[in-house]
Amino acid sequence: MTIHFILNGEDVSMNATSADRLVDLLRERFGLHGAQADCRRGTCGKCLVLMDGRLAPSCLLPAFKARGREIVTYEGFAQTDEYADIAAGFAEAGVECCGFCDKGKILAAAAVVERSSRPTKEEILAEMAEVPCRCTDPETLVRGVQAAAERREGRRYRRASQ
Amino acid sequence: MAPRGEAAAGPDPGAAGLQARELILGDLSQPGMVHVATIRSPTACGRLVSVKAPTLPKGYRLILPADIPGENRIVSFGAELPVLAAERVTYVGEPVALLAGPDLATLGDLAESTRVLVEEEEGTFSWKSFASEQVVAKRVAVIGDPELAFSIADKVLEGEYDSGALEHLYSEPQGALAAFDYDKMAIWCATQWPYHVRDCVALVLGGAGEDVVVRPTRLGFHLDGKLWYPSLLACHAALAALLCKKPARILLSREEDFRCTTKRARSSVSLRTGLDATGRLTALDFRISLNVGAFGPLAEEMLSQACVAATGAYSCPNVRIEGYAVTTNTPPLGAFAGLGAAPSFFALESEAARLASAAGQDPVSWKSRNVLRKGSSLVTGDPLKEEPPYEEIAGRLGKASDFGRKWACYELVRKRRAGRDDGPLRGIGFAFAYQGAGAFLSGGAPNSYSVEATLDKELRLSLKTSAAACSGTMIDLWRRSASDLLGLPLEEVSVAPPDTDLSPNSGPVTLSRGLTVVNKLVERACQAIQKRRFRDPLPISAKAVYRIAKPLHWENGRIEGSIFETAAWGGAVVEVELDPWTLEPKPLGLWLCADGGRIVAPSRARAALRSGAATALSASMRESLEFAADGAIGAEYYRYGILPPGELPPIHVEILEADRRAPAKGLGELPNDTVPAAFMAAVAQAAGANFQSLPVGPEALADWEET
Amino acid sequence: MRVSEIHAPSSLAEVLEQRRRLPEAAFYAGGTELLREQAGRFLRLPPEIISLGAVPELRQVALTERFVEIGAAVTLAEILELRENAVPELLAVALRGVATPAIRNLATLGGNLATRSRFMDSWPALACLDALAEFRDASGSHWVNVNRIADAEGLPAPPAGALLSRVRIPLERWDAIAIRKVGLRDYPAAETAVFALAARAEKGILSEFRLAFAGERSLRLREVEARILGRRLPLNAKERRSFSGDYREAASSLPPGLKQQFGTLVDGALDLLSR
Repeated sequence: MTIHFILNGEDVSMNATSADRLVDLLRERFGLHGAQADCRRGTCGKCLVLMDGRLAPSCLLPAFKARGREIVTYEGFAQTDEYADIAAGFAEAGVECCGFCDKGKILAAAAVVERSSRPTKEEILAEMAEVPCRCTDPETLVRGVQAAAERREGRRYRRASQ
Repeated sequence: MAPRGEAAAGPDPGAAGLQARELILGDLSQPGMVHVATIRSPTACGRLVSVKAPTLPKGYRLILPADIPGENRIVSFGAELPVLAAERVTYVGEPVALLAGPDLATLGDLAESTRVLVEEEEGTFSWKSFASEQVVAKRVAVIGDPELAFSIADKVLEGEYDSGALEHLYSEPQGALAAFDYDKMAIWCATQWPYHVRDCVALVLGGAGEDVVVRPTRLGFHLDGKLWYPSLLACHAALAALLCKKPARILLSREEDFRCTTKRARSSVSLRTGLDATGRLTALDFRISLNVGAFGPLAEEMLSQACVAATGAYSCPNVRIEGYAVTTNTPPLGAFAGLGAAPSFFALESEAARLASAAGQDPVSWKSRNVLRKGSSLVTGDPLKEEPPYEEIAGRLGKASDFGRKWACYELVRKRRAGRDDGPLRGIGFAFAYQGAGAFLSGGAPNSYSVEATLDKELRLSLKTSAAACSGTMIDLWRRSASDLLGLPLEEVSVAPPDTDLSPNSGPVTLSRGLTVVNKLVERACQAIQKRRFRDPLPISAKAVYRIAKPLHWENGRIEGSIFETAAWGGAVVEVELDPWTLEPKPLGLWLCADGGRIVAPSRARAALRSGAATALSASMRESLEFAADGAIGAEYYRYGILPPGELPPIHVEILEADRRAPAKGLGELPNDTVPAAFMAAVAQAAGANFQSLPVGPEALADWEET
Repeated sequence: MRVSEIHAPSSLAEVLEQRRRLPEAAFYAGGTELLREQAGRFLRLPPEIISLGAVPELRQVALTERFVEIGAAVTLAEILELRENAVPELLAVALRGVATPAIRNLATLGGNLATRSRFMDSWPALACLDALAEFRDASGSHWVNVNRIADAEGLPAPPAGALLSRVRIPLERWDAIAIRKVGLRDYPAAETAVFALAARAEKGILSEFRLAFAGERSLRLREVEARILGRRLPLNAKERRSFSGDYREAASSLPPGLKQQFGTLVDGALDLLSR
């Protein structure tokens, strides 16, 4: 079947069967390696994408679920101002990841700061359960997400006052 | 040809500073590549009769042991295991053949319809009591006269503590990509020990080490699960590449990795303790059995580490240690965040907490009276050369956690409790430990490692080491050490990729060796350059070599050799409350204190200790691997959940400040060596009952409640 | 590799029509239940799939003063984002315990409630709230009390062949609620179960007391609830002991581990009423 959808802002189409998971198609057909196919059970958080603005594990999305939807991968998100806020917030707090889970953690952080301008530790950690990698110190991660939220607020305020 | 595998677009904050912005194995591919699927043994033990694949389409190939041009074995720390089981199978999931071909879906279907016929025999799974042919390593050490000491002891107590198998859940499932690069076989894989991969592949292909080049991919978080296992998969990929004359990639799925690769060894420590009338330790007797699964690839080293750590942080004049590493028909079991010391610390610390409680004493006071001091005799009979700062550690932890008051208060509540709803079910526990300086203790370990440094004409320094770093922190640290010593700007110091053709063998990355060995070698190489810097023309290269001290020699109950000259000392406190509805232990706080010598990057050391504490707490509260009756990993991968970050308590870390000239020590294992015992002691106080192993789940507590 | 036929109806009428033509077809909404046993490289879905993603009738939420009606294809995350007081707190707490936020973005209320293999997190809460579920098939619409989704053995028995289209949940005041999840939390395993409690008192007398527990089996003991109702609060030690004994005895059908945990949870609930 042919599936049309929006991928990182562009109209695209692909041929797929019901056996294909979105994560594999993103990697193999579109060369987008930001989402990794690790657990294939929606539990490791390494294949997260944004579907219509919401976080979704792309390993639990059969290709047909993408039909007519807007999919943003890590690569697409990395082009946005929101990404820059999070990258800067993480760097400011000294968040260190193993180099595998960082993309999932960035997208999960994006979900938190999208929802709340001053996220609490509890909110952040609840969202971070999405990406249960042993590598990162949770306290630094919380500071990183809070710093990202502050940057985002600052940017919005500056924009509003311009 | 270089493989394709573009890094994801956009900056990569997590990987900042990683060597050569390494590629991720799962992203790598090559044109014309074949995929490799593993055909595995369906039974735990027996004679392999046949492997029958369906008729294979063109381009697909079955690979059997007879196809191996070199030797069908890999060697790890003195142990050996087959690359493909040839005549006998020894565990469920053992590789018996490989299938290679271009299309993953077809390959999957073919692998599914391939039949492995085994003449089944009864497997061996018992390991606490075992037959002599199961023993692959044995250690006995006697210090003083333990039997006499027990006979005159005021009190003699006995205990037994078990530590179960654990899954590493490393950042990426295991795999390897192999392809000819002109006249060499090039291997890409995520490994803690690139030269081990190289030598194993060379042995299997029947070539020399120089015929193989290993280009490590991003390692990520490994918890010592990628010490030797990647070498096995690299051999599989290399065989497929050689026989199919095409690049070949093997990537285990997470599920397959969970079921078939190596896990933490199971361990059981039985101990007998003799005390004098004042509560001082006078005699200790340990019997340690280590279930190392099939082949026991790290058995020698792990058993040595476990036996040396048996007496933990304590000083005792009369000790007997008897240790056995025992093979069974389960997947190979071995290292997990260290090479075997943690279960020993867990056992003695837990027993010490019980002894203190039985004596009606505060565990900190009890433990502090019995800890190692300068001059205390170590298991080798040598006196300890430095004063361990245990008193200060206990003091700092006590103050930060309010241990003394809380312990006394929970003790009072526990003793007066009339029923479950009578007062909060709380407890607090305390544990000491130390981490040695990264030395291997067994003869199976390789013997020399090196690091090279070159200062070029533009005053840029390049460091070469095969040590694969799992985070940017370690690389940063090496660069900083070099930049400090040579007075160079940090940006002028680079670390070359850990490629075996470019960098010398720096040994496996484990036991915090990145810090304790590699960093020392970086410093020594830079010192050598500094000496010649203003005399010789640039470029100047220097190589620093580390030769392993003679391995410990165990004979007639005596241990000869040196276990450590210095160690990182530490302690932990954990406070828990049992949920009044479910009785589930909920951690309220965790406090860690460590003396790690000179701390190069304090905030990073704190972060590393906090994430280590989170891992240790998760393992203590949630994680346990079950084995089915046939020795296979019994549970599904999804059942193995780690503690979500939202359920972690606040983690408080104190680091004792040391002299700038003091050596840097490895701290990474301290949480794993202290937190489990502190957690169990806290749960024991909250529940008013003793437990023997972790995790103490709600089911165990419900059992306890019923009784 | 197995390939299935995907049908994507755009109205409820079309769904029912397709279902009539393809009685063996599986409904696909969030897909989390269908995919949960699949970790292989390729998915193996049932041969015929009716995808419910584009059916507007199943995505609606209607709020009145007395109840809220939630379409079966509304996701758990969307329910949790409804404005305050639009969803009973008991249900919200239960749904927050389901997997992770990203899975809750996919999983739907219908999928959570109508799973045939076991009970999921929403059932105990909805059972305590006396919610009604609307099932549709060719013969029309049938409202079923959520408690009736469990058969006499306590096993899930949603009406065969019918489509769960929406759930109507009464909005009432509760004085005490509790949700506790035991066993594996992030994944519905054999030992995973959810315990729900809702109670209300009028002038110191217990006027409502509902307690439900479900994992692979469900447990709701109306006769014990009836005995507890009308008691003066706090319960005295004798009453507490007696009800605890009643519940523990009735729980004998549960597997041993869950039986013990159920007993512990009941004691927690009775402790609450004894204070």
